[in-house]
Amino acid sequence: MVLLVILVVVTAASVYIATAGYASKLADYDAYRAAAQASGLDRIAPSPMAPLSLLRGGLEYLEIIGAVIAIALGYLSIARERANRTIALLQSRPVTGGERALGSFLGALAVFATLVTATALVGILSIGLIAQDWISPSEGFQLLLAYLAALLYLGAFYCLGAITTARARASANGLVVSLAIWLLVVLVLPQIGDTLDADNQLPGGLFQALTLDRDGETSVMAHFTGYEKTRTLIEDTSFAKHFERFAFAMTDVKDRYRPFTLGQLLRETRTDIIWLLSATVALFLGLRRTYKHTPSTGGNS
Amino acid sequence: MDDAAIELEKLSHTYDKDPVLKHLDLRIEHGEIFGFLGHNGAGKTTAINILTTLLVPTGGTAKVCGHDVVTARRAVTRSIGYLPAEVRMYGHLTALENLEFLATLSDVKKPRHAAKETLDFLGCSDLANRRLATFSTGMRQRIGIAQAIVHRPDVLLLDEPTAGLDPLGVRQLRETILQLNQELGMTIFMNTHLLSEVAKVCTSIGVLNHGELIYKDTIEATTRRFPDEASLEDIYVTMGGAP
Repeated sequence: MVLLVILVVVTAASVYIATAGYASKLADYDAYRAAAQASGLDRIAPSPMAPLSLLRGGLEYLEIIGAVIAIALGYLSIARERANRTIALLQSRPVTGGERALGSFLGALAVFATLVTATALVGILSIGLIAQDWISPSEGFQLLLAYLAALLYLGAFYCLGAITTARARASANGLVVSLAIWLLVVLVLPQIGDTLDADNQLPGGLFQALTLDRDGETSVMAHFTGYEKTRTLIEDTSFAKHFERFAFAMTDVKDRYRPFTLGQLLRETRTDIIWLLSATVALFLGLRRTYKHTPSTGGNS
Repeated sequence: MDDAAIELEKLSHTYDKDPVLKHLDLRIEHGEIFGFLGHNGAGKTTAINILTTLLVPTGGTAKVCGHDVVTARRAVTRSIGYLPAEVRMYGHLTALENLEFLATLSDVKKPRHAAKETLDFLGCSDLANRRLATFSTGMRQRIGIAQAIVHRPDVLLLDEPTAGLDPLGVRQLRETILQLNQELGMTIFMNTHLLSEVAKVCTSIGVLNHGELIYKDTIEATTRRFPDEASLEDIYVTMGGAP
């Protein structure tokens, strides 16, 4: 509950910070449009505003803090059963390890759904109330997809926390292993990928500083295909990065995705969707296997 | 021959090359109250853990109501109720919530109704809405029995059920065991140290010594067979049940 409140508050705060200047830019655009319409212009420039991009901070909090919450929940689900010694009570009932794993996973997803819904609602309300821009139904659908991906992402970390805890003799050791993996997957690998990105070598972007357009950038990078492949491979090993790419694409955080239709967005991010789904399914199967083989008795006779 | 309530054939179990159960043969008929006696480390809890499907035996077979504990785990767990030596349930939930949850896991169709009915049957409806964390040992034991019978199993497995109970609690437990056997027709398999209780409630006994069943008979036959011993305790010592 405390973690939920913290996540909701930081999401609202991040939207508040991101909206600095947004409302005035929106008012400028509205004024331009009104003037253009009054002067009889038949082609009016589309709005450059991307209200969903204001949720970038909230999504990053879900990616980083949400993953820690998910690991903590996975850890607690096993550690509490272990400390209370209630596993034997469950295992002596007509339920299989697979059913218990599924029940536990669905229960965790219900908790995450509450968490994600709360942050989404706070985000939408904050955009409407603070930035004075209410999101459209199509934007709402894209946001829904982003948060569904967040559910999968959090579910994967829940499984990770539960697996490492169940497999460790001491529950705390399992938690430490989970957090080490979290550190690698959520912070280290994406950071290495970003640091190695040629465009990130100068503030504002290397290619912009060189006044190169997209084609120019592509032709330059064609000379560094091996380097780029290695960098992409490092990033690809982090399913946190895949979640981030998908969520950012759905919420217009990246400028290049803004003109895309939903179908184009899904096509562009299909690799990320496959990675995210594969990682979640693999970790759930790992959880299932762990539940099937969790010993409930010690060596006493 | 009809299926026995419990049937063990050459049942063996080994922990790290250390044999705990050695070729145990045992048949307990429906309706019996069986007292399983033995010193600490004799293998009683291992036998119960196998019967509850918590442990897979390293040799032999164990059947409950004709269902093999290894190959028909789900059928076995439907047939049994299990009271562990130390009753551990969810302290943050009320007694009724605990029972409802465990009844649901046992495929009971109306779990809340079954939970209430069980509490009524055991005369502890007053505990229904109290959190388990606030319970005394005796109260926990009663809720422990309630969870073991909430799905009306054929066989009730009790592991040291009198551990930690005061004399009044022991008496209440004895009455409950008899009630479950007589009114609900449950077969009861009870690991215990309390020989006096065995004599008062059990219809038959078995004595386990270092993993081997050294004796099994009815209480009447046992007292006839050892006419010179004053109590079951003396008989137990005579037959080598002490470590």
